[in-house]
Amino acid sequence: MNKSMRLLKISRKYHKWLMAFIGLQFMVWSVTGAYMVFFDIDYIHGDTLVNNEQDKIDPQQVTYSLQSLLQHYPQAKAISLGRYLDKVVYRFTLEEQKLAIDANSGKVMPPLDQAQAEKAARFYYSGAGTVESAELISENAPFELNPAVMPAWRVNFSDFGAPAIYVSAETGLLVGKRHSFWRLFDWMFRFHVMDYDDGADIDNSLLFWFTMLGIFASVLGLVLAYFRVFRKADEALLAPDSNDSHVAGVAR
Amino acid sequence: MNMVRKLHKWASVIVGIQFLIWLGSGMYFNFMDHTKAAGHTYKVHQHPSLAWNTLTLQEPADVLRQYKPSTTLSLIELAQKPYYLLNHQRGLYANFVNKHSLVDARTGLPVTLDVDFAKQLASASYNGPGEIVSATLLQPPISDLLKQKNPVWQVNFADEINTSVYVEADSGRIAGHSDDDKRLADFFLKLHFMDYANEGSFNSALMMVFAFIALWLSGTGLVWTIDLALRGQYKIKLFARKTTVKLFDRNQKSLGQVAFSNHKNLLDGLVEHNIILPSTCGGGGTCGRCRIMINQNVKSTAADLQHFSAFELEQGYRLACQHFSDDVEHMTLMDITDAKKYQLELVSSKFLSPFIKELRFTTQSKIPMRYKAGAFMRFFIPEASGCSVPLDVPELLQQDWQHIDRLNYQHGACSRSYSLAGIDDTTNELVFVIKLQSAKNPSVLPGIGSNYLGNLRIGDRVEALGPFEEFYASPGSDKTMVLVGAGSGMAPLKALIEEQLALHRNNKGDKPPRPLHFFYGARNENDVIYVDYFYELAKQYPHFHYYPVLSRPDKGWLGATGYAQHVLALNWQNVVEQGEPEFYLCGPKGLMDDTIRLLRDKGVPESNIAFDEFS
Repeated sequence: MNKSMRLLKISRKYHKWLMAFIGLQFMVWSVTGAYMVFFDIDYIHGDTLVNNEQDKIDPQQVTYSLQSLLQHYPQAKAISLGRYLDKVVYRFTLEEQKLAIDANSGKVMPPLDQAQAEKAARFYYSGAGTVESAELISENAPFELNPAVMPAWRVNFSDFGAPAIYVSAETGLLVGKRHSFWRLFDWMFRFHVMDYDDGADIDNSLLFWFTMLGIFASVLGLVLAYFRVFRKADEALLAPDSNDSHVAGVAR
Repeated sequence: MNMVRKLHKWASVIVGIQFLIWLGSGMYFNFMDHTKAAGHTYKVHQHPSLAWNTLTLQEPADVLRQYKPSTTLSLIELAQKPYYLLNHQRGLYANFVNKHSLVDARTGLPVTLDVDFAKQLASASYNGPGEIVSATLLQPPISDLLKQKNPVWQVNFADEINTSVYVEADSGRIAGHSDDDKRLADFFLKLHFMDYANEGSFNSALMMVFAFIALWLSGTGLVWTIDLALRGQYKIKLFARKTTVKLFDRNQKSLGQVAFSNHKNLLDGLVEHNIILPSTCGGGGTCGRCRIMINQNVKSTAADLQHFSAFELEQGYRLACQHFSDDVEHMTLMDITDAKKYQLELVSSKFLSPFIKELRFTTQSKIPMRYKAGAFMRFFIPEASGCSVPLDVPELLQQDWQHIDRLNYQHGACSRSYSLAGIDDTTNELVFVIKLQSAKNPSVLPGIGSNYLGNLRIGDRVEALGPFEEFYASPGSDKTMVLVGAGSGMAPLKALIEEQLALHRNNKGDKPPRPLHFFYGARNENDVIYVDYFYELAKQYPHFHYYPVLSRPDKGWLGATGYAQHVLALNWQNVVEQGEPEFYLCGPKGLMDDTIRLLRDKGVPESNIAFDEFS
């Protein structure tokens, strides 16, 4: 056996064996990767689920002054003025709490009830479907909701992809938009980075070892492809070692 | 399965390199430092310092009236001063297109974010050692922040990682930090996402095409692996069994029984018995060269189907690399004739010239070995210690060996092929003519095989496989035979000549003998071997012509001088007298090349030239 043949045989052997162990993960990488690149990332983010209404503040509605607000709530932080459906409201934080007060009356807005949450969600949602259910989430945020925005109403719509619109119960703001494609994407990402135990992230050692072996197995695969494509009928592969002394044949 | 294998091959050709790039960049993400990769090395986490209730601010309602309609108004702090940020066009995310007005919250006057203000804001967000070296207003796309859709100020700091702080031009928001660490991470992201057009996205058409092909690559690989597993190609040595298989050559002559371990395919299993079937793919089932014939009931694989006709499959033709010994009872080797392993015992070893020895072996076998003249045997040289000078150099030849340093060395096991110079009719001894290769310079070992064999003592044994018949007289021909050789290249030619003379003896009468011309080159009288023997043959058989040629003869030499091929050219008329001859060449490369060139010039068709080259 000459050197090329030995390389070819070793490559074949280890490619075969390595892939028996890590081949399934290659399939996972390809499937999840393909999913992630085939769906437009903005669509995945649910950008098409909301209409991003450019509703403007009517200054006439702002009769309660900022000065009064600061007198009343001297510790108010992150103060802003914006619309809540047809009203204008001040929104701010007080210690850990988020508050909204009517910019007309100065009254504190009570947390949204289900009807209000559905109405707000309906306002933000771009689809044609109807509200299917609503649920107030105050603790144990599901993985698709940022816990910092709790308490929030999850309003489910009847459309394709099980879309959900999250509305802050305290401020009435849109705080989340999810559909099945996002949820699936999230799983795809976890599988892609081999986050199988839910604890570790992209820097987990399982991923490291699979990638390491994967690189090795792929290089061997490339060697095989090279031999099969470029040296398919290379008779030199049949030649004995260079220090073997016989070459016989018919003159060419 | 053939389709699967084909798809796998072409998919790997197309995406193979990118596949490695995916893995390599993936590896980078796996162990990169996330703070650094985010560009946050010198980023300050800013806390608000102003107490709003101590300030006298313009009322929002008044401010709103003076500007374009706004979706929101926010009270913000920039460089320890209060501002209103009015949003006129809202994007879903801060980096999407947004339109803002920035207003001094104390005066209600509009503020434009000029270069000095931008530098001030950038400095407040930066805690590194660098000074600001430049600030530039950039329009998107911005190479450091491909997702940013609004104009930004790029403020560059002179530090060891070339930090840039980006300040959004109409809002004063810190759009991001970037530095060499983040740029490196971005580079790997670009590779991973195949974002070679700098779109800041992995939803490009190129990426989709590659992802699609990669899907096929993995899918076909998976199917292939499962197929291999189902066919029992994953066998572990530890649990392997040994099975015995009866071997036959292509003439259905038995080669004996051979034990195979069932964890290796037959192609690799045969290698262990030193039977090397041809293969250019090394066992992938793609080249179709390792043809064998086994029990017809062994299920054929996709590769078998590809390389054999239905009729051949029915007869039991299979590829050795695709099968295991489990179900195989007998195996016929299509490319091996009579080749067999022999235990050879040395019965005689003598010097023919200072560096050429004649070795005679017996085969330990009652049945004489049959072979075509010109065949060779492969010797298995074991691991041993060797010596550069043979121990049995006769007195007369001592001076020829004087210039060679005595060197003792260890060598590994290897195999070497030597042509048979004949089989003795009476004793059935195999005769080899072997040149003891000395080292060309002191840094390399002398010829391991020739010195090992040359140093064997009478009674010593060595294993050899053969005969392999690749160089032989074309069957049935009665053309003039011209043999050209030099040095120990004499061996197969001697066998050919003896074979022809024997044919002539057994075929007395009717046919005129075919003329034989033997041109043999050597350096001087000492080097020319079997000279008396061939002179004797020439005397005995008038159709055998012997032309010994010496390149550096001593004074007394009466024969031809020069090189064998030159003397062939001089005698061309004699050689072609009785029609187109056949040529048989064996010797060093120089001689072969020269002779082939000469023959080509003389218009000899290539099919009439057979050669056996050795190095």
